[in-house]
Amino acid sequence: MADKNACMTCGGRGGLCGGKGIATLKEGVWTNNPLAIQVLGICSALAVTNKLSNSLVMGCAFLFVCVGSNLFVSLLRNNIPHRIRMIAEVAIIATFVILFDQFLKAYYWEMSKQLGPYVGLIITNCIVMGRAEAFALQNPPIVSIVDGVANGIGYGVALAIIGFARELFGSGQVVLGNLVLDLGYWYTPNQLMILAPGAFFVFGVLIAFFNLVKGGDGEEDKK
Amino acid sequence: MSKMRYNIYTVVFAATLGLVCALLLTAATQVTRTKQEENKKAEEIRNILTALKAPFDSQAGADELITIFERNVVEQSLGKKDPLTLYVYKPEGSDEIVAVAVRFIGPGLWGPIKGFLALEPDYKTIRGVTFYEQEETPGLGGEIVTEDFCSRFEGKQIANEQNEWGVDIMIVSGEQVGVNKISGISGATMTCDKVQEMMNAIIETLAEKRGADGR
Repeated sequence: MADKNACMTCGGRGGLCGGKGIATLKEGVWTNNPLAIQVLGICSALAVTNKLSNSLVMGCAFLFVCVGSNLFVSLLRNNIPHRIRMIAEVAIIATFVILFDQFLKAYYWEMSKQLGPYVGLIITNCIVMGRAEAFALQNPPIVSIVDGVANGIGYGVALAIIGFARELFGSGQVVLGNLVLDLGYWYTPNQLMILAPGAFFVFGVLIAFFNLVKGGDGEEDKK
Repeated sequence: MSKMRYNIYTVVFAATLGLVCALLLTAATQVTRTKQEENKKAEEIRNILTALKAPFDSQAGADELITIFERNVVEQSLGKKDPLTLYVYKPEGSDEIVAVAVRFIGPGLWGPIKGFLALEPDYKTIRGVTFYEQEETPGLGGEIVTEDFCSRFEGKQIANEQNEWGVDIMIVSGEQVGVNKISGISGATMTCDKVQEMMNAIIETLAEKRGADGR
């Protein structure tokens, strides 16, 4: 209970709640980006990023699930029996994933068809589970929501970058609703970019970029 | 005793959490059910229209598709026992039959495959083929849904050169010249065999229901 008060006022935590919120946000989006730094959840990242629109929807699904599961795991963190905490986490995560899946099936059928099983597979995405286990279980609800949002944005933006690059170079144009970015006739679409190897190339470049800008390659940081 | 109480607490917690999650999901499914079923129906219609080569806007929503379908396609039952549903394409305002489609269902390699076979009014020449449900291996058997594969059926016949009707769609490797031979997908032999099997089954049923005069 004292813990909860500490959240509301952020006293006893060495700073304002906002202070921790911003640190959490920065960590999820940038310094500890789930995809580019932790290299987690790459199965779905490689599978759905052949188009920008798919990547964005996947990012939204992930954001929704991560925020929802973080919030509820955090709310229940003092009540979940330690022995079954992982099962409880998975049950909460699965509920949110299926909710989103049902919503897609009802209102965005085409998108649901394109994403296929990958929305459902968010349940097994290790980032969501990791955030619930490593963060939400130890932190009060508001900061946990911030953490969920941060990781959702971090993952979603990384997906969007990969999706944009793959669609642009793979089909010569990026289509998002009515917006079309066309490379023109001089460019011959490289089919490889749409296939799995293309994802690896772009993903590798993304990791390199993160490490370059952030400085150090993560391995050194640990030493 | 405290251990016992902890155990009971664990069970009660798990049961409550399970119940709450289940209730939430049931509610969500109930709320979205009609919409989902409409989408499923529209997906079927889209496939029937595609097989029949009936024109429609590819951006059309579920309601629009259902309207187009109801205006241009007539459902007919063929045969008295276990009637076969025929989807007859009569463009709005005309009485001329442009094409006829039947649904085929059969086991694939991993799960059921469902699709539509559309024939020209001569009931012999294939007008179009679509698959609307399949769980075949992506990249191999899953390629049956591609336009590239489906278009290979167009213009082929559902009888062989000797006019032995009903049993002779053959999906075989390499470029094919026979009137009833269709080029298969390399790496997806099992899927092709099964598709061939289910198509021949529906062709046979169709021939049977239409009677000997169908030739």
